[in-house]
Amino acid sequence: VLAIGLLPIASFAQVRVGVGAAPRAAAPTPTNELTNYADPKDYEIGGLTVTGTRFLDPNSLVSLSGLKVGDKIRIPGEAQGSAIRKLMDSGLLEEVELFATNVQDGKIALNFAVKERPRLFRVNFVGIRKGEQESLKDKVKLNIGKIITTTVVKNTQMSVRKFFVEKGFLNTKVKITTIPDSSRNNATMRVQIDKGPKVKIHNIQFVGRSELDESKVRLKMKSTKQMRFGRVFSPSKFVPKKYEEDKQKLIEYYNKLGYRDAVIEKDSVINNGSKTIDLVLNLNEGRKYYIRNIDFEGNYLYPDTRLREVLGVRKGDVYNTEELEKKLNGNPGQDLSSLYMDDGYLYYSASPIERTIEGDSIDLEIRIFEGKQATINRIILNGNSKTSDHVVMRQIRTLPGQKFSKTNLIRTQRELATLGYFDPEKIGIQPIPQPDGTVDIEYTVEEKPSDQIELSGGWGGFIGFVGTLGLTFNNFSAKNIGNLSSWRPLPSGDGQRVSLRFQANGKQFQTYTLSFVEPWLGGRKPNALSVSMSHTVYRQYGLDFYTRGARGATAVGAYDNTAITIGLGRQLKKPDDFFTLNHSLTYQRYNLNNIDLFYNGYRNGRSNNFTFNTTLARNSVDNPQFPRSGSTFSVSGSFTPPYSVFRPADYKPSSEDRFKFVEYHKWMFDATWYQTVVGKLVLSARAHMGFLGSYNKRTEIGPFERFVLGGSGLAGQGVFALAQDIIGLRGYPDRRVYTADNNRTVDANQASQGGVVYNKYVMELRYPVSLNPSATIFVLGFVEGGNNWGSYKQFNPFDIKRSAGAGARIFMPAFGLIGIDYGWGFDALPGVQKANTGQFHFTIGQQFR
Amino acid sequence: CSPFSKLQKHGTDDEKYKAALEYYKKGDWYKAGVLFEELIPRLRGSSEQEMSQFYYAYTQYHQQLYAVSATLFKKFYETFARSDYAQESMYMYALSLYKDTPKYNLDQSNTLVAMASLQDFVNAYPESKYREDCTKMIGELRKKLETKAYERAKLYYKTSSFNISSLKSSVVAINNFQKEFPDSEFNEELAFLKVDAQFQYAQNSMETKQKDRYKDAITYYQDMIDKYPKSAYVRQAEKMHETSLKEIERIDKLEKEIKELQQKQNDTNRPAKVTSAN
Repeated sequence: VLAIGLLPIASFAQVRVGVGAAPRAAAPTPTNELTNYADPKDYEIGGLTVTGTRFLDPNSLVSLSGLKVGDKIRIPGEAQGSAIRKLMDSGLLEEVELFATNVQDGKIALNFAVKERPRLFRVNFVGIRKGEQESLKDKVKLNIGKIITTTVVKNTQMSVRKFFVEKGFLNTKVKITTIPDSSRNNATMRVQIDKGPKVKIHNIQFVGRSELDESKVRLKMKSTKQMRFGRVFSPSKFVPKKYEEDKQKLIEYYNKLGYRDAVIEKDSVINNGSKTIDLVLNLNEGRKYYIRNIDFEGNYLYPDTRLREVLGVRKGDVYNTEELEKKLNGNPGQDLSSLYMDDGYLYYSASPIERTIEGDSIDLEIRIFEGKQATINRIILNGNSKTSDHVVMRQIRTLPGQKFSKTNLIRTQRELATLGYFDPEKIGIQPIPQPDGTVDIEYTVEEKPSDQIELSGGWGGFIGFVGTLGLTFNNFSAKNIGNLSSWRPLPSGDGQRVSLRFQANGKQFQTYTLSFVEPWLGGRKPNALSVSMSHTVYRQYGLDFYTRGARGATAVGAYDNTAITIGLGRQLKKPDDFFTLNHSLTYQRYNLNNIDLFYNGYRNGRSNNFTFNTTLARNSVDNPQFPRSGSTFSVSGSFTPPYSVFRPADYKPSSEDRFKFVEYHKWMFDATWYQTVVGKLVLSARAHMGFLGSYNKRTEIGPFERFVLGGSGLAGQGVFALAQDIIGLRGYPDRRVYTADNNRTVDANQASQGGVVYNKYVMELRYPVSLNPSATIFVLGFVEGGNNWGSYKQFNPFDIKRSAGAGARIFMPAFGLIGIDYGWGFDALPGVQKANTGQFHFTIGQQFR
Repeated sequence: CSPFSKLQKHGTDDEKYKAALEYYKKGDWYKAGVLFEELIPRLRGSSEQEMSQFYYAYTQYHQQLYAVSATLFKKFYETFARSDYAQESMYMYALSLYKDTPKYNLDQSNTLVAMASLQDFVNAYPESKYREDCTKMIGELRKKLETKAYERAKLYYKTSSFNISSLKSSVVAINNFQKEFPDSEFNEELAFLKVDAQFQYAQNSMETKQKDRYKDAITYYQDMIDKYPKSAYVRQAEKMHETSLKEIERIDKLEKEIKELQQKQNDTNRPAKVTSAN
């Protein structure tokens, strides 16, 4: 056998190229030396064979090799190395050798001598519980069919041991044996584990600790705790990795308190038999340091005084390197880096140097590198596989031509997250400096599903279907409805919102709603167009409903309502950009069929209500779930056409046509103000007013759009409210706060007709229990007062029904806001017995008034 | 139980392979695909492996699962580089990528990959019958990138009525477009938009910065006129040019007056000359 070339391809494969016979091949006649590197020769491949296969197909191995009979091949050369590499890359073989079996007239016959690998057939863990076996299998990724090499065995052994050491079994022993099964060319791996007893820490001793309390020091060792009776939630165990981290944390804690020199000089682990250990940490705390002078070096743009002011570290402050770093490069907008980085100085850096240390005082020198101002050139956007460029680009605050700004960068990140189309954790921002002094900014996003489906309900015997079906598409594209190929499953990517909802309580009550919002109408400005349609059906049944069911029973009375609203809202730039202006046009049709929903005898007829509404609002609240500062304010006016102006003086409609064309003008005013009082305690003050009027004296103010006041302010509640503004007033019964002329006593029916002018004032103190976004909880105490008048004769904004109480709110994204309040009314309501007593109120959803 | 699911459950590899070929010929890409997918790991190392992989890739391509078919074709020509189908497979890989490219207003990283692989194919097989198709597709993809850049540049211009500072951004973005796509047909429109954006930007600037900005508008106008003297936008641009010139003149005059005024003030403030007797 003439094996001449020796060419290791991979660490586990030996490859020989040579002339002569493979040990397993038939003995060929050795010819002249082929692998003469000085003199490579060209041959034509005359034959290709594979020997040594057991389970694999030789032909396919040949085709895997990339060589073919009839090929021209130069030996020695590239081709044979690459052929061997390709075979090894298949992962099927343990060894590949290439031999020339015959050379004749420029033709060469080649043979691959291969050895197939044994594969992992099964892993047996011995010596541990079944549950541990399961978690080990997840941890130690051993795929069945994997080729067993010594590396695999060694790695398995190490990761199994690590698994137990991390659980506190420091004395774990792992032994691995492989049992080959030559007939099937595979092997079983047997992992013998002796984990021994769990090692606990008997005692931790801190030698040299005097400045800080022992308990505080112990607390900092979060994962390394001493044995103690009753330690259930964080049992004492010794995990070397965690121990190292804890030591680091301890020193960081010392540093934070000004002990700049604190070190653990020595630490020992003392073995008490195999079950427990003792830890001894020798501390050298050093002294507590304070800052004396701060000087700046390298600042040309701003004077020292300005930098010192922004930095906010004063002479005599404790020397806390962590805090210092935060003030140099921490909160955007408030730290020193923002001063530079918001003005294009992208290359800014600041490093504090301890210049002199005298006693317990440290003089700091902060070396500043200002660098050049960078202008943004390109905005690169990656990863928007569903949302169109323009939808994302209009949220991006860094604009080409502007100076680089760190604050704008952070703001953009927030804006992109609030869009709701991208995974907020995976929004990437990368400024890429260019050689010409400009900077490109690369944003990387990852789409996430943003559509919502709401399904709830059941089949309630004689009532029929009860429940809600809702679909919301938050990233819709109306433009692509006609383009079927873009339906995936719906046309998406233009940032529009479509929502469909169906709600039913059997045959009694059904509501259908469809709404559409385009936040940037025309694509030039954030002018939001909204269109919504709804249809409601309500049927009143007699008593036979409960005996004969919805199918058999006949409706006693019924009503339906159809509404269409088109709105256009825009963000204003003046006086500031918290202002929004909304205009909307609404048409509503009410169809009453023997049903007294207005409590005034109007039982039959059709009413048409055309209204134009204008709302000016300002919202500067810092957080919608639990506001701590800011305010909201809104004024709105709604107008119907003044039909009565065009009517003759003796206009006398029939009782059915009395409200055929609804006529009124309505004004609403709402203001809320939030202020942190002390700590987490927030004060919220609110004022609300509403006025409903007619265009002239001849026309009465109709039953539409009146105010009802009192209770939780929730619609429904057993009484059907139609075309009314329901406003809560805690401490009083639902919708019973009503002042008639001369303070006449009114019954529930009259109070339910509603008033034409109301006002309400609220003071609330709120305290957050949990600010977790998945469940925001706060408790509140309130004093409030309000009143509702049947006419303007008696109206007096200071004549209010007062109440006080306490309550709680919980906000969960899935349910919205849920609340409970207990209120005590102080004033009597004429006609309502025991009005001024305690009341419980439940609320669902955000209450604006 | 349909014959297909029966075959899936109880058929031997041989039967399945035959059936898969049968389905493939009939054009039932889904069923053929399911069978091939199941067969491939079992055929590993056998002679049917090559064709199974090739057909499997095609079944995915015909089901318009281009991302999958691209990977499969790529795997095929890498594994069986010497196969008779290697060239076709490489072409199909590039074609799959081409078909999988998103609309211009989405992330274009796939478009860049598709362009590169089409180019790779043309380089590897310059004599191929697919060559012409490939060059055509490369052109189309380039057009897509061009449209993207054009729309981006224009977006800044479009939203400028809401945000004045995006006028400057649109000038920067148009500059970049002109550098990147010098032969684009969008350049005529963009050249005008650049003049317009710069002109409006100057108009909305602080007095002290206006002069330089009008000057830039004039430069951009000259660039436009030199390159597109017959453009439909020339008349509009001319007006801006005229106004810019007038504005510069006005500012110059103003500056001069201010200077004179300052001079005067300095003169009156200056202490009277004292001439010495000797």
